[in-house]
Amino acid sequence: MKKKMTPYILLVPQLILGVVFIIGLGTGIIQSLGVIPAFGLTEPTLKYYKEVLTRPDLLQSLKYSLYIAFMSAFLATVTGTFLCAVLVSAGKVRGIIMRIVQIPIIVPHVVVALFIVNILSQNGILARILANAGLITDQQQFPMLIYDRYGLGVILAYLWKEIPFIIYFVIALMANINGSLGEAATNLGANKLQAFMKVTLPLCMNTVLSGFLIIFVFALGAYELPFILGATTPKALPVLAYLEYTKPDLRARPYAMAINGILIVISLIAAVLYYILLRRSTKKLAG
Amino acid sequence: MKRKKNIWEGLIIGIFIFLVIVPILTILVWVGTERWAWPSLIPQKFSMRAVNGILRNRQQLVRLCMSSLFISASVAFLSVVIGTMTARALECYDFFGKRLFSFMSMLPFLVPGTVFAMGVQITFIKCGLSGTVQGVIIVHLICSLPYAVTLMQDGTRAMGVKLEEQARVLGAGALQAFFKVTLPNLFPVMLSAFSMAFVVSFSQYFLTLMIGGGNVKTFAIVMVPYLGSGERNFASIYSVIFLVIMLLVFGILEWIVGCFTKAQEVEYY
Amino acid sequence: MKKRIAALLLSTVMAFSLTACGNSAKTEKADNKETKQTTETVEDMSFDEMVDAAKGTTVTFYGWGGDDSLNDWLDNYYAPRLKEKYDITLERVPMDIDAILSQLSGEISADKKDGDIDMIWINGENFKTCKENNMLYGPFAEELPNFQSYIDTDDEETNADFCFPIEGYEAPYGKAQLVMIADTAVTPDLPTNTDEFMEFCKANKGKVTYPELPDFTGSAFVRNVIYDICGYEQFMDMEADKETVKAAIEPALEYLRELNPYLWNEGKTFPKDSTALTNMYSDGEVVMDISYGAYSTATNIENGTYTETSQSFQFDKGTIGNTNYIAIAANSGNVAGAQVAINEMLDPEVQADRFAEIRTIPVVDYNKLNDTQKEAFDKVEIGKGVIPQDELLSKRLPEMPSALVPIIEEIWAEEVVGK
Repeated sequence: MKKKMTPYILLVPQLILGVVFIIGLGTGIIQSLGVIPAFGLTEPTLKYYKEVLTRPDLLQSLKYSLYIAFMSAFLATVTGTFLCAVLVSAGKVRGIIMRIVQIPIIVPHVVVALFIVNILSQNGILARILANAGLITDQQQFPMLIYDRYGLGVILAYLWKEIPFIIYFVIALMANINGSLGEAATNLGANKLQAFMKVTLPLCMNTVLSGFLIIFVFALGAYELPFILGATTPKALPVLAYLEYTKPDLRARPYAMAINGILIVISLIAAVLYYILLRRSTKKLAG
Repeated sequence: MKRKKNIWEGLIIGIFIFLVIVPILTILVWVGTERWAWPSLIPQKFSMRAVNGILRNRQQLVRLCMSSLFISASVAFLSVVIGTMTARALECYDFFGKRLFSFMSMLPFLVPGTVFAMGVQITFIKCGLSGTVQGVIIVHLICSLPYAVTLMQDGTRAMGVKLEEQARVLGAGALQAFFKVTLPNLFPVMLSAFSMAFVVSFSQYFLTLMIGGGNVKTFAIVMVPYLGSGERNFASIYSVIFLVIMLLVFGILEWIVGCFTKAQEVEYY
Repeated sequence: MKKRIAALLLSTVMAFSLTACGNSAKTEKADNKETKQTTETVEDMSFDEMVDAAKGTTVTFYGWGGDDSLNDWLDNYYAPRLKEKYDITLERVPMDIDAILSQLSGEISADKKDGDIDMIWINGENFKTCKENNMLYGPFAEELPNFQSYIDTDDEETNADFCFPIEGYEAPYGKAQLVMIADTAVTPDLPTNTDEFMEFCKANKGKVTYPELPDFTGSAFVRNVIYDICGYEQFMDMEADKETVKAAIEPALEYLRELNPYLWNEGKTFPKDSTALTNMYSDGEVVMDISYGAYSTATNIENGTYTETSQSFQFDKGTIGNTNYIAIAANSGNVAGAQVAINEMLDPEVQADRFAEIRTIPVVDYNKLNDTQKEAFDKVEIGKGVIPQDELLSKRLPEMPSALVPIIEEIWAEEVVGK
């Protein structure tokens, strides 16, 4: 009996915070249904969702957002895991190198946008180096790497920030596994790569997948980078929400909330997929 | 063969470090730059305008930093404590509703901050929590906790309950086993969770404003308007200060880990 | 059992640390409350009574916080002055207007009395929304002594904000007027109307652009082009209907589409806001900047952000000017203090200092000043690269009704971008 109660007792503070969160979320969702008494909106309606879903630019924005979020999360996860493995293999899991790895995690997104512009814009340092080397004569000869339709600048900015995040997220675990089990596997005759692929990586997979999900959902919902570095059209979904939100007419707020509601639904689907994957990988490990 | 691989490793790490550092250097240059026109590789006009602006407000900034450090440290500490508890419940026990709890602990990841902020603001005003430090700590905690829980879950899972069970078999009480065996082993992961929670809390802008209502001031509240203002020297100097504070905090934490791991070698699995 | 104790211990620690910081915050809050008064009594107070009531209180001032020179002036001139003269502590809260509206509407929905927000820096559509939703305190402006003594009550901008009647719900804070800026060393001939502007863009292909709407400055620039081509009078009482507006601005839309191929990135992409454009101008990526701060050219030359040869210019038919204002939140906890502070902002000495330090066009009426006051304004060196004040103000065009603004922004996004 005692033992049965233990997990619930441990979960009490989590539960309290969870309830606060759900109340906040619920109030937000009610706003997306057009209930904001302060602006004289009291009747719940699906009108905002309908209008948002029938906007001509919505589908394009949705595709653009999914593309940016997926590319950022995927490339960051793969590169991050790879670099993490290299760092572990080189034995550099602590000290000055890790300190440098931490830097991008703490740099705010707006600042990342700032130096992406500093470096990659048609006026940036790269373009200037080419100009000084005589390879180009005019700014417009430099390819449009940011503000482009393919979201290259946005993805690069996310990569700069999120690859270190993955490393930071995974490295403690990977170093420990590699240290104990990996060594055991090597002693049993596996080479380093085999030991990594067969033992270390599968054991880190859950964490890597969590990292992917966190980045995907974040990149899907955040407006700062696509707002600063994105093209005029198409606009990412969170940018549309942000623009609705900043409209002075407060009665446009439900539109912003409805777009966010759509984003939440997509995030939830991603989360469910993640749980299915997680259970499969745990089963595989167990089997 | 082995040697060759090391060269590759060194090269890859070197390129990576270079790509991380160079952008940071550009913001260092921008701290003292007013104009840097095409196609020059060196700024044409330097000035101390941003530095002077900071120095003028140093008293206010020091005050802000202190209150920010206090709030973020409280948030990070609570995140680690609650994260450890939640992770332990989810990883070491089977119980009814486990999956629901596990999902709930991840939920804040899935929702854009503004939706939650605007919703929770009204609730907090009604409870009298808006405009108070504890209100701000609670909302920061909600955002930081998922990171702490995820990291702690991984740590707890990796360590397993075997060690603790061994200690129990050898006659230690449950509490003793937890504090003497499990906790020291979890310590490095706890510090990762602490740093992550600290960063998340320290960078919160919109939530702090909505809940703090201007009464609770943090460094981010003063910094963020400059970041978007287009005055690149001011944006840069605030980012640099922000970075320095964070690196100091991280450095102190890593030093603590160092002290602990020296005393006690940790092994997972 | 022992695990339960551990859990209990942990949660008590948490609860303790929460209440510990909670207590300190609460006492702070209580202190604040003592010094604030309720709004009911303030309405009947004379100004002197308000000054008494405001003594020792704190007034919060919410507004955009990205302009360092303005922040500096508020923190190091205006705030100390209020402290010294009235024993009022000014607490500046840097916040974007959309976030301010969120907070204010949240407080009002939750029926919070004694709200956190006292003074708000506001104008245009935001003001209209707030006033229509009863989120502002008032009327108060016309009762202020300095308003009565120094503000030109016949001025259109004193009575209406983007054609929306003010009725005493906000007091003027500063004046802005759209100007364009170019470097005369790079482009000696500056356009004086939209036809010449087209030639200017052709001559500097790929090096001219304007901020993407709905940026405040970009939006004003497009309205200015519309005024230059279609005239401004017809918009003053135009119905806020998309078809009507579209028909009226069609020639301007045609012009903007024709402009696109000569713009930066061929008009497929626009800089996201005016600060991005200013940085591009400063970096030499484009040859023209657009600004709402008519005299910011001078300060930017002094800082070195602009080249010495930068010069601001406007179209012969004029450019759009507007005033920004200070309002008081409906649930403000310190209405008396806010009014005293706003009154002080209208003091000619304060306006003159602001004019001298950060070159904001003053809101006080020059003709209502005495000679010493006039002298304070006269002796201000505006600096290089600016349009003389009398010329600037003689070519000042009124803003159109704020309801038309979002409609034009929508039409622009549909009909101009990438076309």
